[in-house]
Amino acid sequence: MSRFARIAYHLSRLVLGGLFLYAGLVKAGDMTTFARDVANYKILPYSWNYLVAATLPYIEFLAGLLLLANRRVRPAALVTGGLTAVFMLILASVVTRGLDIDCGCFRPGGHTTAAQALWRDAGILLLSLVTYRLRGRSAP
Amino acid sequence: MTAETRRILLEAAVIVLLGVVLGLSFNGRLLLNVFSGRLPQSQEEAEPRALYPVPVDLAGVRELTAAGAVLVDARAAELYADGHLPGARSLPLGEMDEQLEAFRQTVPTDAVIITYCNGYGCPDSFDQGVRLLEAGWRDVRVFEGGYPEWRDAGLPVEQGAP
Repeated sequence: MSRFARIAYHLSRLVLGGLFLYAGLVKAGDMTTFARDVANYKILPYSWNYLVAATLPYIEFLAGLLLLANRRVRPAALVTGGLTAVFMLILASVVTRGLDIDCGCFRPGGHTTAAQALWRDAGILLLSLVTYRLRGRSAP
Repeated sequence: MTAETRRILLEAAVIVLLGVVLGLSFNGRLLLNVFSGRLPQSQEEAEPRALYPVPVDLAGVRELTAAGAVLVDARAAELYADGHLPGARSLPLGEMDEQLEAFRQTVPTDAVIITYCNGYGCPDSFDQGVRLLEAGWRDVRVFEGGYPEWRDAGLPVEQGAP
């Protein structure tokens, strides 16, 4: 792997890991508010919002931790990329349904619109892709 | 599918599974209560931090009110006057400090309370639910669909100032 690729790999891995660790921590810390944010999407039945709110932050946290630790990087990048792809589908449905809600992406009860979050998620998806691809070129 | 791809997929699945297990074990009691619709029987049983209102859907609201639950409208008095659920009490979130004592005089703490406001985008009913639990009521539910879902379902509404 060239020097440039190595720097790009570590940079995208660290940014991605930091983002998911942070997102997981703040949402796990305020589960009921996050459950309300999930309910705003009007996709899941009532109680399921709580199930998502209870588990999703921990998945994000674990994936972020592995990326930061440079361990199991490709599986972790697959998880962050997969989650982000799902988030983007849901956000797109929010935009087409014209719902005016907060995305609940990071700080529960924050103020990021679905359209803004969609652009940000495109960047995160790219980071996941870059991390996954570049990791593959080097020895594990 | 190569062995490498299979390994990556498997490990990704393990990460997700571990996250789910961690989340369920940290929030198990809360989730159990949400799914069973049951609230802790006493203040001693529940840690004050864990107090939260249980969500209830439209069908649940109709069932509970038929059984004597008290509907509470967390919106401003003007919105309440324009239209509210039949029999609902007005208790605007912003005026809870002033109105809570009067509310306490007429609604016993063992009553089932359902708070609502302007639907999913509105956090007031949830916040009010938390405050009512903190103030001593034991069974507080939140109708997250709120006034819009009730009205749009074609159910009767009442008008008039509190």
